[in-house]
Amino acid sequence: MATPRPSSSDDDAFNIVATYRRVLAEDPDLTMPVAAIESLIVGLANTPSTTVSETLDLVSKLTAQLKSGISNPISLSAGTDLFQQYLISNLQRARGDFDQARNHLVQNGRLFVERAKAARETIAGFGKHFVRDGNTVLTNGGSRVVGALLRNAAESSNGSGRGSIRFRVIYVVSHSTTGNSVEESETAANIAALRERDIPVAEIPPTAIAYCMDMVTSCFVGAEGVVENGGIVNRLGTYQMASLAKAARKPFYVVSESHKFVRLYPLGQYDLGIEQNIVDFRTAKGSERGKKEAASDEGVADMEGEGVRSGSGSCTPGDEVDYTPPRLISGIITEGGVLLPSAVSEELIKIWF
Amino acid sequence: MSEQGQPTEHAKAAEEPKVSPAELKKRAKAEKQARRAAQKEQEGATGEVPPAANGAHQDYTAQKQSGQQDQKGKGPQAKGQPQPKPSKQGGQESKQERAGPSTQSMPVRGKAAPTAPSKEQPKKDNTVVELLSHLYPVQRRPNLIGVSKDVHPAVLALGLQISTYEICGSSARCVAMLLAFKEAIQAYTTPRDTSLPRHLVSHHLSPQIDYLRSCRPLAESMGNAIRWLKKLIVELDPDKPEHEAKDLLCEEIDRFVHERITVTDQAIASSARNQIRNGSAVLTYAKSAIVEKTILQAHEQGTRFRVIVVDSRPLLEGKRLATSLMRAGLEVQYVPFSGLAHVMKDATLVLLGAHSMLSNGRLQSRVGTASVALRAHKTDVPVIVCCESVKFSGKVALDSIVLNEIAPPEELLLSSPAQPAVHPTAVTTATGKEVSEDDEPAAKLKSLHDWSSIANLRLLNPVYDITPAEYIRMVICEYGSVPPSSVPVVHRLANEGM
Repeated sequence: MATPRPSSSDDDAFNIVATYRRVLAEDPDLTMPVAAIESLIVGLANTPSTTVSETLDLVSKLTAQLKSGISNPISLSAGTDLFQQYLISNLQRARGDFDQARNHLVQNGRLFVERAKAARETIAGFGKHFVRDGNTVLTNGGSRVVGALLRNAAESSNGSGRGSIRFRVIYVVSHSTTGNSVEESETAANIAALRERDIPVAEIPPTAIAYCMDMVTSCFVGAEGVVENGGIVNRLGTYQMASLAKAARKPFYVVSESHKFVRLYPLGQYDLGIEQNIVDFRTAKGSERGKKEAASDEGVADMEGEGVRSGSGSCTPGDEVDYTPPRLISGIITEGGVLLPSAVSEELIKIWF
Repeated sequence: MSEQGQPTEHAKAAEEPKVSPAELKKRAKAEKQARRAAQKEQEGATGEVPPAANGAHQDYTAQKQSGQQDQKGKGPQAKGQPQPKPSKQGGQESKQERAGPSTQSMPVRGKAAPTAPSKEQPKKDNTVVELLSHLYPVQRRPNLIGVSKDVHPAVLALGLQISTYEICGSSARCVAMLLAFKEAIQAYTTPRDTSLPRHLVSHHLSPQIDYLRSCRPLAESMGNAIRWLKKLIVELDPDKPEHEAKDLLCEEIDRFVHERITVTDQAIASSARNQIRNGSAVLTYAKSAIVEKTILQAHEQGTRFRVIVVDSRPLLEGKRLATSLMRAGLEVQYVPFSGLAHVMKDATLVLLGAHSMLSNGRLQSRVGTASVALRAHKTDVPVIVCCESVKFSGKVALDSIVLNEIAPPEELLLSSPAQPAVHPTAVTTATGKEVSEDDEPAAKLKSLHDWSSIANLRLLNPVYDITPAEYIRMVICEYGSVPPSSVPVVHRLANEGM
């Protein structure tokens, strides 16, 4: 690829991973895929490119950089894939005036970010009908969209902030010493907001989920990514909560923006294409992991064909995820409506073909 | 006969003014159907007693009269509305299906057992399993006698190869068919007063298709390809010079084979091979070209894994797969079907090929596949189906009874007729019921080879069965990996949007 010199030197100057982290830190309301899209747009705006293929090349290069720089790129890859697809379909149509098309794209991208944020409110509007009087809702912390949904449900029906809908919430909170502080403060904020609205909230440790399940009427969780078969990838413990909900025959709803739909099809827990240091066998001599890695480092699903976790290192504690298969999920509440897990693949095919 | 002929004539006269080739064809089909029904009716008329199994016993004579009329009324009009399966399925069977149990399938049964249901025609009676009688081909073509003169030699040869399983597997049959059609198209000359787009399909292609169908019911992929080809021909510009049109068609056929099968296979194999990891044990059943390709590619890639090939009679296709994998240097375990439960414990992945993916996400594949998938599901081994989108179907089936193909039951027999009487209880039908022999001592002397003369014994040799969607974890097609619930989406995209 004969890219002009200034562009490639600019490339080196622009650090997509740092931009991504900065964007994410600056706006706590932003989800990972949207942050990825925004940082790609920033990258695109910073780097001059004159042809369609050059732009596409640049985007895929930035995407690869970003994915390799982040330990768990599942969620953000939903955003980058979406952006790439959008670019391909739009740039090829607007063959004539490239500059205009590109500017249009950069602006549209911003619009997309705005819309993605607004989606949360739409979802809350759909989702609040799933919370009724006298319900007890089980959720795990960390999801902003679930927080928005519950707040919306608490406020609905009259404007005074004291809604007629009375329900109770059980929050699963893991007070781990190594936990992600951002997430914990967010959970705390969500709980405080609910309590302020007169909604009784209980906090339980993950070990008590099965104990509580009998009094629960429905479960709501967020998702880092919704995968192609309708399953979800979410923080560790979601799978176990879904299994327990299924065993107790309680509905288990996933609340997620549709830009989190990701083209990944895991068959099981170890099929996510990321390295997680969750199960660590040890003997007196130390961890078994070092030896094992040499033997099998091909146990990875390919995403976009590139090596995903090169140089990424394993996830930090608190960032681990698990995969919840679609058979445990009753419905996925998105801004486009409430979907069955099987509809996810349909939506993805619509985007991609 | 004459009485039946008339209403059709009337219908014809009424419709005469607007004649398009498609309509003509539909009408011809309807007439044929009516004629056939009438014929059957007459054959059966000597004395019909519907089998006891049929609930409609008492109503039968009434239905016979009203049914015929209503069928004729229905015939042309039923054709007018979009059929879910126009011409892709075995014409005879599908027509019988369409007519419903009340009208058409009845005479078939009727002719088997006349008033005295005893041994008037025991032979006929014995060869057909009544539950599946709609699936039996009217006559499986044993030779070339009575073949229409319009059938091109290349198609003739192909028909024989297909009926002897020399060309087997739905993609292979589809490719071979398209290549033969290419020759047939090149040999075609448009008669005067008509144009190629109007004439080719109905007068030149149809005999070829009918002949192929008489050799073996058409596969879903063939149906999709034929539909594509017909659409292509009809949309040709009538003013195009004939040789140009023919060249264009041939080019398009080549492109179709390349895009929808050759490249697709490659894409599926390279996506499926990533599911095979180091240390896996891949279980597969019978033989699928695309599974073979996947396994070979994974092996070339340097993945260390072993393969378990489960096989079953009568075709023993797995043997060929096992041989070719062994030659490539893979570690292969070859197991009979009876060893399925045992080997499933070791398997980490089940890879299956498909005859067709149905719109409710179910898989139609070689008989036995459903048991393999069930076993895998129970053992929690992921089942992955590799299937080109050309095999996706708009049809829906819940069981293996409605859509299936019955192969000659003789295939089930072991080759040596001198064998001491094989106890017939060993023969189990696909529906799970056991056929057992009479206890009379005389029957004991007969071997299974005399099955058609043994009262109360039926042999059933179905070719496909249906695997429920719940057992299938993933379907890999050229559009990527999709859950079985997305089959209709891909089908719309690939086969109807083209």
